[in-house]
Amino acid sequence: MSIWNPAQPISHRNRSLLGAGAVIAVLLLWSLLSGLELVAPNKLPAPWKVANAFAYLAWDAENGRSLLLTATLWSLGRVVAAGLLVICIGIPLGVLMGASPYINATLSPLVDPFRSAPVVALLPIMVMWFGIGEGMKIAFLFLGAVVYLIPMVRDAMQAVPQTYWIATRDLGGTDWECIRKAVLPMAMPRIADAITVAVSVMWTYITVAEYVNAREGLGQLIQNARRFSAMDQVFAGIIVIVALALFTYQGMRWIRARAYSWESGQ
Amino acid sequence: MSEPMNAPANVSIDLRNICQEYPGEAGQPSLRVLDNINLCIDKPSITMLLGPSGCGKSTLLRMMGSVRPLGVPTPSSGEVLINGVPCDGPHDDAVMVFQRYANRPDLSVWDNVAFPFALKLWRERFKRSEWEAMVEEALAAVGLADKKKMLPAQLSGGQNQRVALARALVLRPKILLMDEPFGALDAQTRTETQILLSELHRQHPCAVVFVTHDVSEALLLGDRVVVLSSQPARIADDFEISEPRPRSTAWRRSTEAVRLEERILDKLHGSAQGQVRVTV
Repeated sequence: MSIWNPAQPISHRNRSLLGAGAVIAVLLLWSLLSGLELVAPNKLPAPWKVANAFAYLAWDAENGRSLLLTATLWSLGRVVAAGLLVICIGIPLGVLMGASPYINATLSPLVDPFRSAPVVALLPIMVMWFGIGEGMKIAFLFLGAVVYLIPMVRDAMQAVPQTYWIATRDLGGTDWECIRKAVLPMAMPRIADAITVAVSVMWTYITVAEYVNAREGLGQLIQNARRFSAMDQVFAGIIVIVALALFTYQGMRWIRARAYSWESGQ
Repeated sequence: MSEPMNAPANVSIDLRNICQEYPGEAGQPSLRVLDNINLCIDKPSITMLLGPSGCGKSTLLRMMGSVRPLGVPTPSSGEVLINGVPCDGPHDDAVMVFQRYANRPDLSVWDNVAFPFALKLWRERFKRSEWEAMVEEALAAVGLADKKKMLPAQLSGGQNQRVALARALVLRPKILLMDEPFGALDAQTRTETQILLSELHRQHPCAVVFVTHDVSEALLLGDRVVVLSSQPARIADDFEISEPRPRSTAWRRSTEAVRLEERILDKLHGSAQGQVRVTV
């Protein structure tokens, strides 16, 4: 066994042990720092306080409601709505750009710069254009994710070896058939990767989107808790978002592996 | 199979004064790859195009009814006639089998062979029941009938090349263009696939143009061997071999075969004289 070899196989058990160990170590350090009040409780609430806050948010017996469930559903709804828009608009655009250097040359100056642009800085513009309602939040999530998705889909199309286009053309396929029947199906696994990244990006932007005039949602829940200095609730909210993002990510990876199992053999 | 896939096809490929030049890099003069090639193939047979690597064999092959290279007009001058009609791109009668067999990793063996019928051109010419029978027949012909549900990644290199052969033959082409198709196979598989090709050609006589840089392969398969010199490629030799296929090891050791081999090597080496860089 060599430790310094990227290709060294690691057993499932060892991987789980090491991963769980790291999480437990952080929890211990966290408990130590907050339990001994080495860091002030209004800066770092103890893990058990966060757990309490989580329980309260999950089920508020006094008022018979679940703040967390409501907030999660709102945030999830926004991510799904924006995600559908991203997929319906971003994928066709990326596919067209990847399929034709002419379309790519035309559109890439309009798309590529935004990949490295601070999309958050555009929030005030979104507010001016779309107001402070749902439209703005979905438009912001859409913009934040679509600028990643389009270039990734384009790159996925361009990465398909030319042989498949040529072989299809040789068999008498039209240009468009070469794209639709050969290049696009071959690009699908990487397009699925692009969707996964886009959804992850949306989860990172959801809080920003919900900072502005939100009455519901996880971002608003965190913002609200921060306003009342309820740091334990802030932590609980953040953990939920991280968990949701991780869950969707793993779910999409699973679907991709099932749908494009041929790709792993490459 | 009880009967041959097709009657001998009438076909002619006529290359007239073909020259091919590639533009040189900044400031360099343009590079002449093919120099005044005249070649006429007018009967179902196996023609071997033999020449050193990079001499322009593949470029020449692609002119015979397949996809022309991108970015440069092909040919620079000269004329390609297929059945007497000028041809400037993929021809319905011609199918190419590539060096890298271009099987689709996402499609099963059956779907790979049936792929041409996913295209409008062929779907309109055959009824579904017709082309499904053609796919079955082609799979049986290359001996992969029992592997039709598998993915290419589950097959060996030789089996993959047979899938590519089946996909080409399913259309019953009059012209079969083969670009060093067995180059990536190990010696054993290569011999097996060569024998399979001669058998398929016997069942389905068509004009095979087979590019190779392997002298033994040329002698084993060719009804006709066309030797190209290195850059710029000219036809250095052109002869026929009447020995029927499959050709035995005994024949390969015969005086005739050995003399032909010496003749080819002589032409190849002779043509390389004066070249700064030769890769054979």
